[in-house]
Amino acid sequence: MALTPEGAGPSGADAAGNAGNVDAGWLRVHPASPFVRGWVALAALLFFFGRDSFERLLQGGPLFDERLAGRAPWLLLGGGTLLLLTVLGYVLSWYFTRYQVAGGYVRVNTGFLFKQQRQARLDRVQAIDVVQPLLARIFGLAELRFEVADAGESAVRLAYLRADEAQQLRATILARASGASGGTLSPSPEPGQPETAAVEAPEQVVLTVPPPRLVGSLLLSEQSVVILAGGIASVLLSAVTENRSFAVFLIPAAIGLVASYWSSFNKGYNFTAAISPDGIRLRYGLLDTQAQTVPPGRIQALKISQPPLWRIFGWYRIQVNVAGYGLAASAGEGTARTTLLPVGSIADVLEILSLVLPDPGTPDPLGVFTAGITGLADAAGTPGSGGGQDTDGGFVTSPRRARFLAPLGWRRNGFTATETALLLRSGRWWRSLVVVPHQRTQSMALQQGPLARRFRVADLVLHTTAGPVAPRLIQAGLDEARALFDAQSARARAARKRQKSEHWMEPVAQPAAPPADHPQEGPHHG
Amino acid sequence: MRTEAIDPPGIDWLRVSPKYVKVRLAGWALGNLIAVSLLLLPLVLVLTGVWTWPPVWLGVAIPAVWLLLALWRLLLIPRQVRSIGYAEREDDLLIRRGIFFQRTLVVPYGRMQYVDIGVGPVERPLGLCTLKLHTAAAATSAEIPGLPASEGARLREQLSARGEARLAGL
Repeated sequence: MALTPEGAGPSGADAAGNAGNVDAGWLRVHPASPFVRGWVALAALLFFFGRDSFERLLQGGPLFDERLAGRAPWLLLGGGTLLLLTVLGYVLSWYFTRYQVAGGYVRVNTGFLFKQQRQARLDRVQAIDVVQPLLARIFGLAELRFEVADAGESAVRLAYLRADEAQQLRATILARASGASGGTLSPSPEPGQPETAAVEAPEQVVLTVPPPRLVGSLLLSEQSVVILAGGIASVLLSAVTENRSFAVFLIPAAIGLVASYWSSFNKGYNFTAAISPDGIRLRYGLLDTQAQTVPPGRIQALKISQPPLWRIFGWYRIQVNVAGYGLAASAGEGTARTTLLPVGSIADVLEILSLVLPDPGTPDPLGVFTAGITGLADAAGTPGSGGGQDTDGGFVTSPRRARFLAPLGWRRNGFTATETALLLRSGRWWRSLVVVPHQRTQSMALQQGPLARRFRVADLVLHTTAGPVAPRLIQAGLDEARALFDAQSARARAARKRQKSEHWMEPVAQPAAPPADHPQEGPHHG
Repeated sequence: MRTEAIDPPGIDWLRVSPKYVKVRLAGWALGNLIAVSLLLLPLVLVLTGVWTWPPVWLGVAIPAVWLLLALWRLLLIPRQVRSIGYAEREDDLLIRRGIFFQRTLVVPYGRMQYVDIGVGPVERPLGLCTLKLHTAAAATSAEIPGLPASEGARLREQLSARGEARLAGL
């Protein structure tokens, strides 16, 4: 493989940190980790063999059934062997799992029968998560997940490290990946040796979500509306048909409900967003805690949305597409990972936007984003073929002729482009605003069905990496859509040329650390 | 060639090989053969007296309606194939398709992650291939079917070279 004793680390500037010795710095995860990971199997084993004996002990009987007494040694032997094999497997898997951060790469070797060596380039990092399930938290352990852009499973999972070790490793990886390691790092920094390792970039807490608001947001979520409707329907049905057996179906439904609300609460509890030079830091969780770090420029698309009932309190939710996280639906943890703000006021939303998009590219970010979130075009629309023009945000909406296609939405569905991002808004009741930075546009498609052709409108679809956000401009006027199609290709092209290096802290192309203040105080470009 | 309303003006579309109609016809024939024989199964069972439920008229009507729709789609195939077009521009590749539901797609060269060429069993004897572009977005689904093999190879080399020159990260 790439690892030979005499310094096979990639030669180059970033190899300065590992002083020529690649074999040094191979570390193992915490010895307790296989047991923390595999506790279910161990517990099942113990339960299976222990329960019978334990029950008999409680009843004052002999430890073993008389019939079994003759075979007891064999049973014990069998159980013991199984236990021993499991433990041996754990120990072996622990012994053969080693990792190393050196020379701009993170490498992990696993397996003793089928060996696997995996290495990932540090500057390709899309996100780093530190996850602590409940049991690991009790033992003071944490799992580190290193995400690259393949939308599948995590590229590198180190489970488990000591919690402080995991944080230290994250700091080291981020320092190397950001290109800031030039002078601040001493040679041969090893995670686990704090005196030589990188210092965690300072962070500044931007906002927190108080638990009462989280509970309120859950109670008023889309889910609750559906449940309420379903409950009323089933009560009505049972009243009409005088069939009480409906109640039987309600019990598992109720259990599922409680579980689902609990999981949302557990994930969203104590949500804290912070900003550091290494990117956006999110921390959340009641029993299982998770800390995510998304370096600058890794967010591919962002959606601000508001279910109808949240309008009472003026709450919003922000979801993002990050290349490493993949589809939200893939796992239970997915929805939480792609949520940048579970619930927040408009001020919180603007705060987060200023973190994601430090340069909004417009002289009046507050006006533009507010118009995108709550704005509505003139009911009269503009005469002629042109689309309606929003008075405050510069949003171009569906033309008036499209009002038969979208009687409610035509005044909302629209777009505007700042110098750095394209904003697509939609939905009268289910308001949403999608923000796609120009340099993150992958490809685009104009689509038109037969009905849309009659009304001379077309949809513009922007393709981004997998995730909960699917940017789509709905029913724009034909001429506007075509103009946008051309203009957006040109803007994306120009933005790609300007794109900075992936080392976001390198002195040559150092982006200003995003200010944590409101976008209305942000830089004025125009 | 005629350009549609959503196409950017002034594009010289390159069309795919007319032989691609045969590939589509083969697919159409196979798919509908299976579908119609499945739909005829109840009729056969009723006529042989195994089943009693679906009345004969229903057993006849459903495959007939299906067949009618299939025939309509058959008539559309040549036009659908003619509507597929692609154009190489300075910085991006345009692909269009569809007559009723039209789509015009633009893929910047710098965004391409890799290019696939696939040859199916019907395409092979006709000397055709299907070129597929992949970006970091799964939704891109940029496909140019029915390319002559030589044109496919040329396009692949061309796209790879241009992609390399304009490579951008994510």
